[in-house]
Amino acid sequence: MENMANKVARIPNLVDWSTGEVRLMSAKCASCGTYFFPREHYQHRPGCSREGVENVLLPGKGKLASYTVQYYPCPAPFRTDKKITPYGIGLVEFEAEKIQITGIITETDLKSLKVGMEMETTVLDLYVNEEKQEVVTWAFKAVL
Amino acid sequence: MRDVYIIGTGIHPWMGFSEQVFADFAAVAVDGALKDANIEWQKIQAIMAGIFIYGGNAGHLSGQYLESIFGETGVPVVNVYNACATGSASIRMAYNSVAAGETDTALAFGADVSPKGFLTAKSDNAVQDRDVIRWKMGGMPNPIYWALECRKRMEKYDTTEEDLARVKVLMSEYGSKNPDARFKKAYTMEEVLNSVYVCDPLRLYEICPVSTGAAAVIVTADKELIAKADNPVKINATTMGSAIYGDPTIRISALSCPAVAEAPMLSESYSASRQAYEKAGVGPEDIDVLELPDNSSWHYLVYLETCGFCGEGEADKMLRDGETRIDGKLAVNPSGGFSSHGEALSAQALWQVIECASQLRGRCGERQVENPKVAMAQTYGLMGNSGTTILSV
Ligand SMILES: [Zn+2]
Repeated sequence: MENMANKVARIPNLVDWSTGEVRLMSAKCASCGTYFFPREHYQHRPGCSREGVENVLLPGKGKLASYTVQYYPCPAPFRTDKKITPYGIGLVEFEAEKIQITGIITETDLKSLKVGMEMETTVLDLYVNEEKQEVVTWAFKAVL
Repeated sequence: MRDVYIIGTGIHPWMGFSEQVFADFAAVAVDGALKDANIEWQKIQAIMAGIFIYGGNAGHLSGQYLESIFGETGVPVVNVYNACATGSASIRMAYNSVAAGETDTALAFGADVSPKGFLTAKSDNAVQDRDVIRWKMGGMPNPIYWALECRKRMEKYDTTEEDLARVKVLMSEYGSKNPDARFKKAYTMEEVLNSVYVCDPLRLYEICPVSTGAAAVIVTADKELIAKADNPVKINATTMGSAIYGDPTIRISALSCPAVAEAPMLSESYSASRQAYEKAGVGPEDIDVLELPDNSSWHYLVYLETCGFCGEGEADKMLRDGETRIDGKLAVNPSGGFSSHGEALSAQALWQVIECASQLRGRCGERQVENPKVAMAQTYGLMGNSGTTILSV
């Protein structure tokens, strides 16, 4: 993993790299078994007691369930000082957790994207803040 | 419950950004509806108003603003927001008030002025409003969501880029014949397939923009008003649906969705349409005219399936075989659809109902469906919002 010491997520509690691997921060309901992302956005099964929701980290790897290529720059409040457009957006499936999560794809060879390919969670550098930290979002890259 | 009829409708034609205020557009639509119904403003006993979310205090109290233009009469005024299905909520409330006997005659209206530039997050609280996350971290404008679902569809069924373009060609043919549509150019397959990708596989001409527009509907159970109306149209059902747990569709503003389907796709529209079929005592096979929400070409295809007009993955064939044409088995979007209008949030569901009513009243000129008896307007809104209205003559 690249040096993550000087990086900060633009919005907290979504992506974690404290374990040495970049992983998404989810929550699991012990009663109905549903995983949530973001973890505050509950999606309980009707009738669930809603007891025992625990924060969990998703596995670092999943597979690409769908993708698109965005051809014009995303308007504000999205912010980046890098030239990323056109960029891929993936929907990555975490099979055991039965959840699919969206994210920007860091791969630049957009023609190589294929549904079913293995993807790894990573971060994308967006801009440098006033504290000289690299502000990042979560992202996905193809496992080669 | 009493029988309820639509006796008057009015539209302010759809257009792009305007400096004019939303209440002026609303007044044009309401004036049109009053004239069409041939009644005085004082006959309106309840006002069910769609909220215009970009209009600040005025937009959130759009019913009061409208009432003051026409003259305050002390009647109940309720303002409602259900995203793109706001108009469905307003007509449902008007219908329920009249059907239950609370009032005899009620007005439902909505008006929206397209914001300059892009739609974006309305708050800055990422914990409370995940919409902030999708913009700041996700980099995902609305069409991304449709493109992700469209790609899934293309992997699963034989939907091609030509099918997506074919939808636009057909919608633009009808839009060119609709004086109230914003886009009136008829496109060829070649022109659509040569338009740039916005988010692959969806092209510029295959997604709809935001628009300005207003629509108003007057409903009544008053026998005298029904008798003097020009071709009144009966409301057989007007329902709203919300999403069902386990719906695999990635909803706009969400960052995740279930990987294993336990409910139908676009379950909010599945819910709304099934409620309407049950209440109206009709099925998809009885519908002659359908207005569906073609926010993108993908929506046109999937909505035929969600609402039960064909099986999953079969909509492309219906389209290719001409079954969805004005002269086909089921006339789909004779108005030209969202593709020819664009979205005017609080007004669009009412405009869809009005097109259905106008078709049943035989008022549609060059785009008129031959002698229809039953019509259905189907909406779709952000975050699991939907409404269905079934009308008949
Ligand atoms: Zn639960």
